[in-house]
Amino acid sequence: MENIIEVKNLAKVFGNQSALEDVNFQVKKGETFGFLGPSGSGKTTTIKILTGQLLQTSGDAEVFGVKNTALNTAAYRKRIGVLSDNSGLYQRLSIEENLKLYCDLYDVPRKRMEEVLDLVNLSGERKKVVSKLSKGMTQRVLLARTLLHEPDLLFLDEPTSALDPANSKQIHDGLRLLNEKGTTIFLTTHDMSEAETLCNRVAFLNKGKIQLLDEPKTLRRQFADGSVRLELKNGQIISLPGGAEGADEVYKYMSNNEIVSIHSNEPTLGDIFVEITGRELV
Amino acid sequence: MTFSWKRIYAIFNKDLKDLSKNLFVSSIIVLPILMAFLYGGMYDMNLELHYMVINLTLASVTAFIQCAVIAEEKEKHTLRGLMLSPASLTEILTGKSLVTLFLTAITLVLCSMIMDYEPASLGMVAIALIISMLFYIGIGTLLGLLSRTVVEASVIILPVIFLFGFGSLLMVLVDKYPALSFIEYLPNIQLVEFAYKVEEGLGFGDLWSHLAILLAWAVVSFIVTAFVYKKRELD
Ligand SMILES: Nc1ncnc2c1ncn2[C@@H]1O[C@H](COP(=O)(O)OP(=O)(O)OP(=O)(O)O)[C@@H](O)[C@H]1O
Ligand SMILES: [Mg+2]
Repeated sequence: MENIIEVKNLAKVFGNQSALEDVNFQVKKGETFGFLGPSGSGKTTTIKILTGQLLQTSGDAEVFGVKNTALNTAAYRKRIGVLSDNSGLYQRLSIEENLKLYCDLYDVPRKRMEEVLDLVNLSGERKKVVSKLSKGMTQRVLLARTLLHEPDLLFLDEPTSALDPANSKQIHDGLRLLNEKGTTIFLTTHDMSEAETLCNRVAFLNKGKIQLLDEPKTLRRQFADGSVRLELKNGQIISLPGGAEGADEVYKYMSNNEIVSIHSNEPTLGDIFVEITGRELV
Repeated sequence: MTFSWKRIYAIFNKDLKDLSKNLFVSSIIVLPILMAFLYGGMYDMNLELHYMVINLTLASVTAFIQCAVIAEEKEKHTLRGLMLSPASLTEILTGKSLVTLFLTAITLVLCSMIMDYEPASLGMVAIALIISMLFYIGIGTLLGLLSRTVVEASVIILPVIFLFGFGSLLMVLVDKYPALSFIEYLPNIQLVEFAYKVEEGLGFGDLWSHLAILLAWAVVSFIVTAFVYKKRELD
């Protein structure tokens, strides 16, 4: 598989504070790559380096096979879409007027506007002035704007952090559709379930380094300890370790017909993150 | 380096529409127009008073609008979106400058009509005004890049308005203290002297030195702006 992004020994120091120490990863063509990490771990910094907004202190970053130091071109910017964590819209203009500007900047026909507005379910609100929109609607307009020019590679910095579950789900569906059509997605999030539902692979960033990188299901399997959780008829819920000792217990409850339900204790990505870093991912 | 008029026009259009709804910034136009009415009604108009209003227009309308629209793009995080699009900074600033120039031109024409100012040579005066506008565009851009919010922009621009907008008053000082004679080289004073010579019917041979000084100011303001931008970008 072709690598769309390649990052080697990437480091970034701000003043005397190191944000990235030694970051290494590749993003393959067509995948949705989750970039996870606690606040301040350097997710946004990494996106800025990959999109030509910031230069690294040392190390290499390549996108589409081009060094990031040579990325500041109109041609590159036509191939990427960036939804940053604090993008803004023109508050006094309508949704439509905001999008029209970007149609012209990217040189795409105005009818693309309809398509992206449909995708984020805002076709009916196109004439609304942006200052009158809810946070979730604003975020959806921003996403629509990011998709106008059908980028090959999408950088999404916490795309759903301001959204309610219904809106998040809708955006997830849209992103999955785009991904199926071949768009590569680089996504940062605090939301572990978002990462699980969307990402082919996830990377855990902490203390300036990638601590873990794999498919979510592989990670869950790797960190599963074989323990099970039982719900008993007397209402008790108990957790039993894997191995002979736990098996004996399960046998006992099962023979006495005391079990209502039995589930494997699979770790969530959040659990794995806490285990690896000793930090909560918030 | 790309230069696309389509993108410049798109930004021009957007900014014009946005400014028409942004009264905090666009109402600055009222200031010189009010002054024009005031002077026009009160005094026997003379060239000095015409240029009080014209210089005020340049310092307030040109410099302030340019400064405020740039600061607002930063404050509302919209500049980043533009910078991540195929538009280059040159295209973005050109689009914005054209809006500022457009509004300045309208204000100047209105004020001149109100004050009944008809220069002996419209062409010469237009050249001097255009070069002056470039200088104020440069200053406005510089201060816009330095300020983070529109409110900051409207404070940081005040010295410019006082120095260049009401600067002819400074000439009184020059007569008193010869050490301050450099004030004569300020672009606003040069513009007045230039206008006097135009009214005297002098030709390009006598006028070019003023144009050269104005042009030098414009070039310096552009160079300083570019320098500050590069330095900021590296931080
Ligand atoms: N321009 C800057 N100047 C100085 N320090 C910076 C700058 N940008 C980021 N940092 C620092 O670098 C570190 C990483 O910041 P970054 O914004 O990349 O984190 P993040 O993972 O995106 O966090 P969050 O989840 O809160 O968005 C932080 O400690 C931050 O304070
Ligand atoms: Mg961030």
